[in-house]
Amino acid sequence: MTTALTQGLERIPDQLGYLVISDGAVLASAGDLENDEHTAAVLSELVATACGLRLQRGHDPPFKRLSVVFGEHSLLVTVSGQKLFVVKRQNHVQEPVAV
Amino acid sequence: MGCCYSSEAEASDQEEETKRLLEPAASPPNKVLNGAEQSYHSLPSARTDEQAMLSSILAKTAINIIDVSAADSQGMEQHEYMDRARQYSTRLAVLSNNLTHWKKLPPLPSLTNQPHQVLASDPVPFADLQQVSRIAAYAFSALSQIRVDAKEELVVQFGIP
Repeated sequence: MTTALTQGLERIPDQLGYLVISDGAVLASAGDLENDEHTAAVLSELVATACGLRLQRGHDPPFKRLSVVFGEHSLLVTVSGQKLFVVKRQNHVQEPVAV
Repeated sequence: MGCCYSSEAEASDQEEETKRLLEPAASPPNKVLNGAEQSYHSLPSARTDEQAMLSSILAKTAINIIDVSAADSQGMEQHEYMDRARQYSTRLAVLSNNLTHWKKLPPLPSLTNQPHQVLASDPVPFADLQQVSRIAAYAFSALSQIRVDAKEELVVQFGIP
């Protein structure tokens, strides 16, 4: 069950680590995110907040993926079957985000 | 209840034992009737102090003892067990109704059926990120420039000659 969940995640290009979270608990993890319960808790809350926002009425689900972009890496989150899938990926664009 | 009761009984039993143990120490002055009176007077207070200490130790020990063998001797009928079980479950139900903040968060919507594809797809274009950052910066700048501009008198008088 767990291997089936993570097999696809390991093949994602530029992935530095991943998390599979169910009901606040880490089901599987690897790489930079191995046993990273703090990140799991923060991202769970972030997704719950994002799901609570209704930007367009009648548009369900409101989004497919949540991207938290940092300078050199991004955390990408999605929900499927009551499980949170998080992948940490290397950013190709090294330029800082100009403000 | 059973354990408390039994420990009390035990305590009183042991108190008798301590009394018996203390008697030999107390008896010599009684035998020496013509002995020094001061020692005779000082002894009872010493004895009560000692006894108070011993009984306090006994009381502490009695509190810490749970007599399992006495717990069963209470003899409860089958229907009494059933009654208690019902009573406890109704109490629990009432209590759990009050714990609203313990209720689980609403379930998350399923965003996709192919999580792996969604996560493996191209990242957000850099130009889009830049645009969003710029808009946020403009919004922040606009908000920080909001201020009250006083143009008229705050208090205006109507029809007062």
